[in-house]
Amino acid sequence: MTSRLLPLFLAAAGAAAGAGHEFDRVVKAIEQQYGVKRTHIPLMGLANFVVKVAHPAGSAGLKLAVFEDLPDAGDPAELNRFMTDKICTGRLHPMIVTRERPSGESTYILTGELGKSTDLFIATFEPHEATVIEVTVNMETLLKMLAAPGKARGMFESDRDRDDGR
Amino acid sequence: MRIVPILLIAVLTPLAAQEIKMPASLDKLAAKADETVDVTLDGPLLKLVGKFLSSEGEDQPARKILSGLQSITVKSYEFSSEGQYDPADLEEIRAQVKAPAWSRIVGVRSKKDRENVDVYFKDGGNGNLGGIVVLCAEPRELTIVSVVGTIDPSQLASLGGQFGIPRFDFEIGATWRDAK
Repeated sequence: MTSRLLPLFLAAAGAAAGAGHEFDRVVKAIEQQYGVKRTHIPLMGLANFVVKVAHPAGSAGLKLAVFEDLPDAGDPAELNRFMTDKICTGRLHPMIVTRERPSGESTYILTGELGKSTDLFIATFEPHEATVIEVTVNMETLLKMLAAPGKARGMFESDRDRDDGR
Repeated sequence: MRIVPILLIAVLTPLAAQEIKMPASLDKLAAKADETVDVTLDGPLLKLVGKFLSSEGEDQPARKILSGLQSITVKSYEFSSEGQYDPADLEEIRAQVKAPAWSRIVGVRSKKDRENVDVYFKDGGNGNLGGIVVLCAEPRELTIVSVVGTIDPSQLASLGGQFGIPRFDFEIGATWRDAK
């Protein structure tokens, strides 16, 4: 019994470790591309706890990295090249990409490990700011996103962002 | 000896299911558009989504259609003013959806709304479709849809309104049957 469970456990542990590794890889790639360091977020542990308990938008687990004072992430063609060449490799595949020219905001929603729960990476770039979120969503949430891809980004906006009309 | 048909299938299947190549000029359009939405759904994701849709009720047609699909690509552009895109931007796509492999099944020209919709079907054999391309051009909006895979025409309407694909105002399956 133990011998049969061990490969399953190892596979699950490997998948979890892989997801964490992808997040670190994405963060490092952005830091290298724009020559910035991610901003330290106080009480991030608390945010993780809230997400685990409340599961907003059918999500579980959350990793967040914020980058401020980017030199310029507003050029869509350059950003696209960066995302294609450096981020969307290996396990990460672009699912939804949205751009708003007036605000200069681009959002990439990438899928990682697929399954009953799916790892999503949501990378939002404004001309001088970027946010990367890794979150595991259930199938219901994924289906909602696919039903209205243009509104998918809004499902992960904070209340403050919505109030600001961003 | 049995390996020959297997090899042939392996070689020909990807050719039959080839995706439409999106022209590079669309990147320039993205720079002009106020809002762009790109959706790329590949086979593994579509199969996974299909598995979780109910096999009964209103989800049933979508579940059935997703099981045969290899990819869905949707590109949508919204412009702040008219004349931001050139109809010639779509010519590179039209050049890829020509007879005999493809048929233009629907061509709607609305003078009132100034909306042009073209729907191209690829014959997949056995009464099925092998692919669909939809070009929907309005004065301030442009949507390009490419669906690759085996599709039962009668289930097609269930894709409208999903995955960023516009809803079809006409019975698309009947149009295909009439054209055959």
